[in-house]
Amino acid sequence: MRAHIAWIIFRKELTETLRDRRTLFMMIGLPILLYPMMIIAVGWFQESQAETREERASTIAVWGEAPAALAHDLAAAGRLTLQPWAGVPADVREALAAGTATPPPIIAAPSGRRGRWTPAEAERENPVLRAARAAIGNRQADAVLVLWPGLERAIARGGLGTVSVYFDSVSLDSVKARDRIEDAVGAYRTRLIQQRERDAGLAEGFAVGVDVRARNVAPESRRSAELLGMLLPFILIVMSLLGGFYPAIDLTAGEKERGTMQTLMCAPLKPAEIVVGKFLTVWVMALVAALANVASLAATLGRIVPGQQLTVAPSAYVLTFLMLVPVTFIIAAVFLAVAAFARDFKDGQNFLTPIYMLLAMPATVTMLPGVQLTGATAFVPVLNIALLIKSLLLGEAPAELVFLTLTASAMYAMLAVLLAARVFQQEQVLLGGRQSFARVFGIERRADSVPSPSLVLVSYAAVLVTVFYGSLWLLRNATVLVTLLVTEYGFFLVPTLACVVLLGLSARDTLSLRLPPLRGVVAAVLIGVSAWTVAGGILIRLLPPPDSLVKALERILLLDGRAAPLWLVWLVVGVTPAICEELYFRGFVLAGLRRTGMLPALTVTAVLFGLAHSSIYRLLPTVFLGLVFGYAVWKTRSIACSMIAHALNNGLMATLVFMPAFGERLGVGTSAYLPWSLTAVGAIIMLVGLALLWSLPSRDTPRTVYKKNGPTGGGAAGPEP
Amino acid sequence: MQVSGAARPGESAWRQRTFWEKMLAVLQAEGLVKRFEEIEAVRGVSLAVGAGEVVGLLGPNGAGKTTTLRMLAGILTPSAGRVLVGGIDLRARPLEAKRRIGFLSGDTQLYQRLSPREVLTYFGRLYGLDEARLSRRVAELIDQLDMGAFAARPCGTLSSGQKQRANIARAFLHEPDVLILDEPTAALDVITGQFIVESIRRERAAGRAVLFSTHIMGEAGYLCDRIVLLHDGRVIDAGTLGELLQRTGCDNLTDAFLLHVRRGRNLADAPIGT
Repeated sequence: MRAHIAWIIFRKELTETLRDRRTLFMMIGLPILLYPMMIIAVGWFQESQAETREERASTIAVWGEAPAALAHDLAAAGRLTLQPWAGVPADVREALAAGTATPPPIIAAPSGRRGRWTPAEAERENPVLRAARAAIGNRQADAVLVLWPGLERAIARGGLGTVSVYFDSVSLDSVKARDRIEDAVGAYRTRLIQQRERDAGLAEGFAVGVDVRARNVAPESRRSAELLGMLLPFILIVMSLLGGFYPAIDLTAGEKERGTMQTLMCAPLKPAEIVVGKFLTVWVMALVAALANVASLAATLGRIVPGQQLTVAPSAYVLTFLMLVPVTFIIAAVFLAVAAFARDFKDGQNFLTPIYMLLAMPATVTMLPGVQLTGATAFVPVLNIALLIKSLLLGEAPAELVFLTLTASAMYAMLAVLLAARVFQQEQVLLGGRQSFARVFGIERRADSVPSPSLVLVSYAAVLVTVFYGSLWLLRNATVLVTLLVTEYGFFLVPTLACVVLLGLSARDTLSLRLPPLRGVVAAVLIGVSAWTVAGGILIRLLPPPDSLVKALERILLLDGRAAPLWLVWLVVGVTPAICEELYFRGFVLAGLRRTGMLPALTVTAVLFGLAHSSIYRLLPTVFLGLVFGYAVWKTRSIACSMIAHALNNGLMATLVFMPAFGERLGVGTSAYLPWSLTAVGAIIMLVGLALLWSLPSRDTPRTVYKKNGPTGGGAAGPEP
Repeated sequence: MQVSGAARPGESAWRQRTFWEKMLAVLQAEGLVKRFEEIEAVRGVSLAVGAGEVVGLLGPNGAGKTTTLRMLAGILTPSAGRVLVGGIDLRARPLEAKRRIGFLSGDTQLYQRLSPREVLTYFGRLYGLDEARLSRRVAELIDQLDMGAFAARPCGTLSSGQKQRANIARAFLHEPDVLILDEPTAALDVITGQFIVESIRRERAAGRAVLFSTHIMGEAGYLCDRIVLLHDGRVIDAGTLGELLQRTGCDNLTDAFLLHVRRGRNLADAPIGT
């Protein structure tokens, strides 16, 4: 593919798209209109909700002893379900019952209205506040009424009693509950005051009976973010979808309708250049639409929920926008691939509408409470990004999950682009004939003896998702031993062999099943014994893993920490991955990428290998190992070399964990990192190994191999197209 | 001469050509076959067009003219057979071969929201013309095809005649050795049609190979050096207008064509195309 040609196509398509008023309206006009309209709609919605809320009784957790008159007033208030001591932790209850708990001091708050909407800063974090927040968060109560110790006595003495109402301003049910408590307590107070004034013969309004303090339990960041987190991912994804919708149709079906597609196809262009040019256009449009929406939303946000000051850090908007990059990537590619099948604009709309719904659906899930970014949801396309945006706004996005989400999204985006590229290679699809979808998705048996790069990438996506969900499920339901064996043999080895057999590939060429040269074996042993020192000594320092991960890894290395014999550990943790992972990565994947040249093939294989370990902390060491193992196979053309190195590397790691004494003798184990001396020795051994590999004659450039056994059959590889 | 197996008169005609005739042909098709799922639209078409020669591809609707031309222009990949452009195999080196081809089809529109000048610039860049040559060619063509009045207006606002002129400019822009025109005069008025006819003559004079399809027999008659009759995906006769008439004993091309169709395969086996 020539980048400058794709760029020319992109520029022309962008110019043309920007001259289309319909698209411009969808991208910029709609966001400007949408949010003010949303303010109105939210207002209506709140009104209608308010009616039903009015009907529902509020559940109030009452912590503390109420004076008889107050208890009577609360009970008589109606639509209040009182739950004494509901959701109260033992220590708070004890403190309240024993009378040791006191009302937290009030800090001067910037609020002018006393008793209502007092910001949370007015009360410092304290055990009661935390307990109330938890009780409301668990939906044990809509609001918590705390009757501070000494209330009854204070009132009896004609003094000032204090009660606190804890509520969550994000939940409208909670706000309603607070209002009802305030009304009930207010009624009690009014009668109390009148009574006192009468008793003392004072003028009305002289006395103050009860001080009601309302406390919002929602943390400041969460209050604004919760709402945003619910709405924003959905809106952004839907609007990005809209932004890409028309350009995708216009650039494919529209071009067919106008008869310009065949003109483009007779120009000296490669399908990949057309696809990339058009893809970039749709992508940019989707992204610009997303940007317009983020900006418009940021500008109007403060007014969406009147009375609430929504403050979101600008960095949250920037991060959110960055998250949209992979999502819009997927959207653009899928839209383009599907729209290419349509004959004309109308057809295109019919084709894309269901896809639009399908892609928007995961985003709606973020509106449901309780759905969160976890290891499992991190692999669901579109949903993962929607949830990640939500987490970012809530300020709770663990690095591991961000990494997984981005990895998975990048993978899906890549798949989508591959799909689009494949569709564009079907000449009949582009010329308006409606070719069967089956042909696009079908795998053709080719004369090739090795897999194609796109087959490799598709297989990788399938393997990665299977490994991820498979091992997640297995770890929950089986021992570490079973998980490891099933993952390695079932998810790596079986698919690899199935691909080779079913697609009629040459096992020898695809899996590099050749006897290694002696020098290669020596090199593999040297690398196998030393690689861990470099990985552990240098790379771990760059991005130290958290302790929990180290412990988890050690547990796996020792097969669940049970007393497994060392030979079994070696077999399961050393030899098994060496066979299964090497046959897949350095065999199948590398064979498929071989035609792209040494550097790209080794780098991509290593990165795929690293990503398959699905941990950001293991990325650097595994990519490094992937590069070294890949180089061994590239030079020797024998999978045996990388298997030896891999088995030794893993086995040694396990032995170090298994026998700490052995490690200590080497100088490992006491400090967090490997000592530099050991790293240096290891590095030298490894360099010797690499030099040995380097000294091997390069008999393996793809072209010579093709020529050598091309037409004669046997392990024949087709020439490059 | 009897051709064994399925008769392919185009092929036999090709075999009878001398070595030099083959060498001089700028555009060569050898045994082109195109299957769409079940249907075989083109069943073995061979033809050659030399430099400075205008060859007309004649046939009724559904004869396989468009499919053949699309294969020759590199838009469709043949199921069998091959195309050589200036000796370059279109399949093996598609980009080099395509740079030598100019393709124009009667139903091709232009980008509605771009002006003719922008369209020309765009395609010029795609064909790899350097900027100096590109601006010279664009100016030349705008002048030659009298497009000055509408060169800056969006194509969506142009009349069909103006559009077709812009289209011609687009096809001729990179000065291709071979021009492949698929029913270029279809749906055009007399004046614009005449424009195309003149353009074809001019390109012939400039030494280009021109292959065009039409179902208007008269147009083919006075414009073509040679005519290839296509029916049902096969070449049923080929030669100069005189040869075709002589062989069939008819006095016009329409009758000759109908006679061929009526005789069907019988004639296909007869020696033709010297």
